[in-house]
Amino acid sequence: MARKTIALKVLGIVLGLGALMACSLVSPEASFARTHPQELGAGRPACSECHTTDVSKGALKPYASFDHTPTFVKDHKFQANQDANTCASCHAQSFCVDCHGGKVPMKPSLKLSDRPDRETPHRGDFMTLHRMEGKMDPSSCYACHGRANNDKCRACHR
Amino acid sequence: MKRHTQVAVLATLMSATAWGQEVSLYGTTMAQMWKQETPGFNKATATYTPATQFLGIDATSLGSSNLSLHLAGWGKTDLSDASSYDGTKSAGYLNTGYLQYQFAQANADIKAGRFTINQTTGWEQVDGVSARTDLKGGFAISAFAGKPVLYKTVDLTSQHNYDFQRDLIFGSRLSWRNTSFGELGLSYLQDGTKAAKDLTIPLNVDYTRKQLGVDVLFAPTSNFDLRGRTVADVRNERTNVAEHDYTASVKLGNGITLSGNFAERNFLYYFAGTNLPSLFRPDENDMFRGFGFKASWITAANVVLVADYKHTHRESFGDTNRAGGEARWAFSDRAVMFGFSGHVVNATDTMFVDPASPSKSLSHREGRGWVMLTKGKFSCSLDGILQRYDEGNPYLAGLKSVYEVVGSLGYQASTNVKVSGDLSYGSTPVAKHETRGLLRAEYRFGMASKGGR
Repeated sequence: MARKTIALKVLGIVLGLGALMACSLVSPEASFARTHPQELGAGRPACSECHTTDVSKGALKPYASFDHTPTFVKDHKFQANQDANTCASCHAQSFCVDCHGGKVPMKPSLKLSDRPDRETPHRGDFMTLHRMEGKMDPSSCYACHGRANNDKCRACHR
Repeated sequence: MKRHTQVAVLATLMSATAWGQEVSLYGTTMAQMWKQETPGFNKATATYTPATQFLGIDATSLGSSNLSLHLAGWGKTDLSDASSYDGTKSAGYLNTGYLQYQFAQANADIKAGRFTINQTTGWEQVDGVSARTDLKGGFAISAFAGKPVLYKTVDLTSQHNYDFQRDLIFGSRLSWRNTSFGELGLSYLQDGTKAAKDLTIPLNVDYTRKQLGVDVLFAPTSNFDLRGRTVADVRNERTNVAEHDYTASVKLGNGITLSGNFAERNFLYYFAGTNLPSLFRPDENDMFRGFGFKASWITAANVVLVADYKHTHRESFGDTNRAGGEARWAFSDRAVMFGFSGHVVNATDTMFVDPASPSKSLSHREGRGWVMLTKGKFSCSLDGILQRYDEGNPYLAGLKSVYEVVGSLGYQASTNVKVSGDLSYGSTPVAKHETRGLLRAEYRFGMASKGGR
């Protein structure tokens, strides 16, 4: 009975999406460029330097929303959630996996230890520091580690 | 997905890259070495030499210009003592592996395989399918369904319970975008369709989730935006707010940006369905609230200055204030870069369950400095970090300072190949003297014009 319910739910989602497409509700606009047409210079780009007054196609937002300011580099979850195709015009999937891998064999700051300019998390002896940060705010850990594959966490947190 | 199924699917997907007209490959091979001496144990000295291979492949134009394949994963083996906590000497993982069909119209795409879902509700790895498209009038819709990527639990009973409950994951997001307003989104996520009470031997640990999320972007001008989300736990008849998280940014011109953030999380609902219930404890009924500000200035001379402050409050442990700044400078076309930062964390009254000393200080100061130099094919970097703690910190085994220095030397053998070696030295409560060596080979081959950045 439960399997039937699950199958019906999946079918409902698929049919619902298909119906929407079939009903001519789909936007006629061309998709966002899959690749940035020009090679970008090294360093963090400010999209609004060139796209001064444009609104990005698809995202319908000012390009300034994607400027790689220090705030953006540390906290880009909303842009990544809502406009992954904009990110993908410059970044390959493997770039995201450097930090957001689900299960990784080493911390990002060790993998990229020859790149101190990158904003990789958990520098230094974070094994000690995490016990204090966890006391102050465990929800900051949960965003990445609460749903990830963490055999290492279970070595102590049983 | 079972191991042999994963291998079969991976082999099929790998062979599919042969049809790609644009194939990019990103690989990093790393060999580490460190030695550990632990007096008093049977095996007092251990030598660790894990070799790790990271691999990413992006193959586009697979027969059709709209079809692409994306793979990223890693494998590791220990050449001497086992470095994993479970004693095994080899491990591996497929982080992502999916086929994607991107339509030329409406930003529509379909994915099939292992991918990451990060709509407003949930951050999940899924083995399944997803689809999205823009609709007329500024609307957009996305949906996904599949099997959640399952993780190991500590014991067999918990594993059975976990596998039983997390049988299916699905969700959807509907949004509306407007150039003069921004974006509004509504999303739903359901993770698992069975309850622990439905097991042959009913249990009370619940690994399932039902979440409803609202997200907003208010960007009336290119100089201001307000982004955020509110997520609610809707497992029960009553809807309970799990999280508010909002950030506003203002660009003042001349490279100056000001931003402020507010977040509030109710652990009973925010941690609902966690696969680590002993660590992220929903039953503690705790709450977190925090706010912070950040000011950054990117000057015309490639100098970046950042100042930040954050106040956090956790009901059961007390308040924390942290403040600091960072400066970084890149010049001569990034041939020389350096930066330094400092932060003060004031957590003087953190509560502990200890009758002798119910309140302890976790206050500390952190300083970091780094430099990167590139000349011709050679590059080198030096990165040092120091944390100094208050007296009586219960986690430091009598130490007051913890530090690490990493030196790296690299050689760019060709446009696509770079080799480098790192040497690090540090002092921690676990190892008063810690020296590690690391060799790294990076190679990037491909015809696609982007990637890996």
